[in-house]
Amino acid sequence: MRMTVLALTLIAFGSVSASAADTVSKAPPPAPYKQVSTLVKLPDFLPGLGQLFVDPATLPAGPFLAYDHDGKLVSTVYMIPVEDLNANKKFDNLAAPGGNVDHVDIYFNAGHPGVEKPHAHIVLWHVPVSGEARVAK
Amino acid sequence: MTVTRRQVLGLMGGLVPALLLPGISHAGNPVEIQMRGSPDGSRVWFDPIGVLITPGQSVRWTNRDPGNSHTATAYHPANFDRPRRIPGKAAPWNSDYLLPDESFSVTLTQTGVYDFYCVPHEHAGMVGRIVVGTPEPPGWTADPRQAGGPPEGTLFPPVEEIMKKRIVRRT
Repeated sequence: MRMTVLALTLIAFGSVSASAADTVSKAPPPAPYKQVSTLVKLPDFLPGLGQLFVDPATLPAGPFLAYDHDGKLVSTVYMIPVEDLNANKKFDNLAAPGGNVDHVDIYFNAGHPGVEKPHAHIVLWHVPVSGEARVAK
Repeated sequence: MTVTRRQVLGLMGGLVPALLLPGISHAGNPVEIQMRGSPDGSRVWFDPIGVLITPGQSVRWTNRDPGNSHTATAYHPANFDRPRRIPGKAAPWNSDYLLPDESFSVTLTQTGVYDFYCVPHEHAGMVGRIVVGTPEPPGWTADPRQAGGPPEGTLFPPVEEIMKKRIVRRT
């Protein structure tokens, strides 16, 4: 009986996760997500990341949802200010609506409108490494 | 698309004769400063970081960073209450955010030293310096150590190096 309940729970969780991923798999994602270039003065398409959407209430951490030129989700990005990586601050329960993650990149960014302070980009890629070319330019 | 904004600074400009310094570009030729960034956004900079020009010469900033926006903003109380680091009689400027391939120009007529920065990238050390003609005696700028100055460790090219090389690039 316990196994049955567990199995049903996992199936249900998987369905919810798949459903959540389905809602953001194509651009534009539903509200409260907004296109970043409509919130701050940045190019519509950022080479290396793609077209970004974010819920403004979650700034600066995000998640930012990144789409390729065809409007397909390629990654979920978190932007964590370097100065916030200390013993007095933490980021809990950040949303992760993008579904399966193939691999992760973490690198430093000097800042840009919206997240001006130097910060780390934590990129959860939903496509294989070869798929990163879809947002390279 | 290229958008160009132009601003003429220094009301005394017409009264100040251009200095005929040997080897310096003629006042009619604008000096180009590019706003650059590495592909992953980890590094940003002005190129060149220091230039020597003649009074009345123009400077044009162009954003050549395809993945970011930049500003060219003078250190002056009129710009976000920052300390003055341009000649006392010179007018401040602020380009606002420039998208890739957008440009902004100013014409500087007052001799002296002008320090500027990129609003979202000052903390990353994106600053620059323009020397116009011959710098004024000590006192041309506010004490950089005062409150509200550039972040500690911000590196401007020395005036002497700019005077000697005319164009200084960050290595």
